[in-house]
Amino acid sequence: MQLVNNRRLIAKIFIVAVLASLGIFVLLPTFYLISFTLTRWPEVYTDVFANPLIGDANWHQILRYLAFSLRLSFIAVIFDFLFGIPLAYFLARKQFFGKSILEDIITLSLVIPTSGFGVATLLTWTGISGLGAIIGRGIVEDSFVVPIINVPLLMLLVHVALTFPYIVRTLQGKLEDMEPAFEEASRTLGASALTTFRKVIFPLSVPALFSGGVLAFARSLGETGATMVVASIHTTAPMAIVRWVSEFKLATASFLGFLLIITATIVILLVDFLLRRDGGFTPLKFSVNLRIGDKVLKLEKALSGKARWFKDAVSLAAVVIVVILPIIVVLASVGTYWSVDPDTGKFQGSVLYQLFGPPNYFDTLMKATMTSIFVAIISTYIAACIAIPSVYLIKRYRNGKILRYLLRVPLVVPSSALGLSVLLLWGPSGLNLSTPGIWLIILTHIVFSVPVVMEPTIAAYEGSDVLRFEGVARTLGATPYDAIETVSLPMLKRGILAGVILSFTRSLGETGATFLVMGSDVTVPPLVVNMVESRAIPAALFASAYLIALSLVLLLLFRVVTRR
Amino acid sequence: MPDVKLTNVTKTFAKGRILAVDQVSLHVHNEEYFSLIGPSGCGKTTTLRLIAGLVEPDEGEIYIGKRLVTRLPPEDRDIGYVFQQYALFPNMDVWDNVTYGPTIKAWKEEKREKIGREMLQMVRLYERADAIPKELSGGMMQRVALSRALAAGAELLLLDEPLGALDAKIRNELRYEIRRLVKDLGLTAIHVTHDQAEAMAVSDRIAVMRKGRIIQVGTPYELYMNPQEIFIANFIGESNFLEGSVVDLKGDTASVRLRRDLEVKSKRNEISRKNERIVLAVRPEAFEIAKGRRKLENGLSGAIEKVRFEGTDIRYEIRLANDDSIVVVRPSLGGEWLEDGDEVTVGFPPEKSCLFLYPSKGLRAELELE
Repeated sequence: MQLVNNRRLIAKIFIVAVLASLGIFVLLPTFYLISFTLTRWPEVYTDVFANPLIGDANWHQILRYLAFSLRLSFIAVIFDFLFGIPLAYFLARKQFFGKSILEDIITLSLVIPTSGFGVATLLTWTGISGLGAIIGRGIVEDSFVVPIINVPLLMLLVHVALTFPYIVRTLQGKLEDMEPAFEEASRTLGASALTTFRKVIFPLSVPALFSGGVLAFARSLGETGATMVVASIHTTAPMAIVRWVSEFKLATASFLGFLLIITATIVILLVDFLLRRDGGFTPLKFSVNLRIGDKVLKLEKALSGKARWFKDAVSLAAVVIVVILPIIVVLASVGTYWSVDPDTGKFQGSVLYQLFGPPNYFDTLMKATMTSIFVAIISTYIAACIAIPSVYLIKRYRNGKILRYLLRVPLVVPSSALGLSVLLLWGPSGLNLSTPGIWLIILTHIVFSVPVVMEPTIAAYEGSDVLRFEGVARTLGATPYDAIETVSLPMLKRGILAGVILSFTRSLGETGATFLVMGSDVTVPPLVVNMVESRAIPAALFASAYLIALSLVLLLLFRVVTRR
Repeated sequence: MPDVKLTNVTKTFAKGRILAVDQVSLHVHNEEYFSLIGPSGCGKTTTLRLIAGLVEPDEGEIYIGKRLVTRLPPEDRDIGYVFQQYALFPNMDVWDNVTYGPTIKAWKEEKREKIGREMLQMVRLYERADAIPKELSGGMMQRVALSRALAAGAELLLLDEPLGALDAKIRNELRYEIRRLVKDLGLTAIHVTHDQAEAMAVSDRIAVMRKGRIIQVGTPYELYMNPQEIFIANFIGESNFLEGSVVDLKGDTASVRLRRDLEVKSKRNEISRKNERIVLAVRPEAFEIAKGRRKLENGLSGAIEKVRFEGTDIRYEIRLANDDSIVVVRPSLGGEWLEDGDEVTVGFPPEKSCLFLYPSKGLRAELELE
């Protein structure tokens, strides 16, 4: 009896400890900005709506940046769907040579440090050593805006490249799990491949498309690193936060951050609510209304036949253009810029000069690398220590679901809003735990690293029937602790490792939040942005190539861990 | 109404490493209820999927009616296919599932309404037209799947283990219902199952498959009475196998010497020479059984080792005087009941037995189901 009581006590202590660390390290920083804005409302109001000098100009700016960001993200997600859906279908249904390479490329744009990728895209489209080499000048101006949809081309390219994997991966997973019999049944009943897709596969995958779409939208809304590099004269909402904080316009910045956090939370809750009503129900009426008759059916039949390769070719070409091409260009450009600037022929414009000459970017880069890696290791380690026990809380206790929803928020909140929140909470103007610098960066990265480690672990938990096997272990005489140590943790190992690697790469590539909290401890991605802003293109090139190479190594690791 | 013809159809998987269907030729007649049976992995489902166009053959030709369909996609073959787990579209209600084919083929509104109503009334589910599939029981889902397959006007019905997921009782009722529908509508049906009793009960003819090949085609009666291979004697119904050799051949009968010189007479089958090593197959229900030492045709003495009461039947496991073990099945409500340890005499009429050459790879290997 004593033993049982002791166990209960230990369980209680465990729960309290996990909840406390979740609260302090993750939830408090996430939602602090909301309470900050509300408690300092008079101050915020004055600054945003009734500034004695400029009136409500700040408010108009907030609206403009927010509208621009939402439009950009929305359009990026539409493009993601346009070529992500055929690509996912292609990958789920076909076996072909090079399939795993294509899948790796798609994963690569999830782990790539975005500011490096921004440099690659910028160079590819505007530099003369990229695509411009063909015509002797840049293909487009860096501020070029696509007509009709009215968004800057480079930003769109970058956002599509960085967000389409969310669509492809979620949909591909769903399609691979879907019973082939549905598709076959439809075919035997006389429907062509396209008709089958429209009437059966698409309605059944709507939930997956939704959740992929939300992740893509959230990532696009919060993207800072690559966006700052290709921004030229345009400003997104997360960029505005970074700028305003550096101009000490904290009230205005926090109000914008507040709006971003609210938006992201509402979106996540709304989609979860819609999807909870079980897959396939929501689109019912939709698919019936799509009945258009004979002509559409004939068209679909025609397209299902010979024209089938067309959609595959288009989506593959899109991957090549937005992802592969920039990476190749940046790697190749390091070579062309190595000892001389190809434009001017001057040594001062070369990689060698900028790294080892008077600008001495090499030392800066090495110092930033050490900072980056230190931050990534510490924050991932702490995040894993919090996330793994949290998975148990979430799966074991009835109210765990609420916790899970709350922990999804840091995943979708734009990281610059998160950074601002941490700065205000722990920084000198808040509890004064730390001045901007390496420890504040770590505190910031922990916030999003916890859910990043947690999600794959939960997926592994749900996929492997851990509870049943723990029960088996218990009937064989294992204590709860034994069962976790000997059965569940080994079963979850791959999920945890995948989460840890993802968290590590995310920390390594994070730009938006880091900008706000880093003080003088610069990490690599903000360094790249600074290089671009100070026009040190060869150094930026080198640093980007270096980051991309690093992410390739991490990708390899990720692949080894997640493939059986 | 179509017949179906396969000529030398071969299908391999995994780049030729797995031979699923091996040179299969088959002719299913018009309006016939035809079954493909065999142990799992024998290629029966692949054969059905080849006919449906869900997989393409490596070699050979497939005709439905007069049409060569070998390279035709499934949607152009005018077939109805009932899937093992029904595959009702979970995003549509019963009505939309059943009228899916007519909708896809863009039939006129009235015609579609009419056929949908008829089909659902036929399977007694018209009242449940607006239910979604997961609200239905297994048997109901099966009936919806059947009416969906027929609603688009298919004259060839392909059934892939259509009853496999149902409870035994419902399975028995539904199999007759399916046969009745097929016959009433004058369809050709090809039914795949691993359950030989199901195939025997509903089919006009049956093809037995093993390791990608068809080893015998015939009516249920022919397969039961004249199995052409030991495997079939074992797979269709049940058989006792006794090893021995031929000592004499006279007309249609053969004299067989079993182990320890027990002698019995049997049907001759394909045996042409004396002294041939053979296996004698006798069905458990072919035996007569009597207590004590009696004079019976082909009488063999032995002792009961085990009695199992199975409801309809009683099974006796008997050790014969030569140490061979056999199983004898008698209807439980006819004749006397015997007990463990009883000395008995069993006998069988020669025409209800079969003789096979002893298989070159051994009896056990020949009977393997995998």
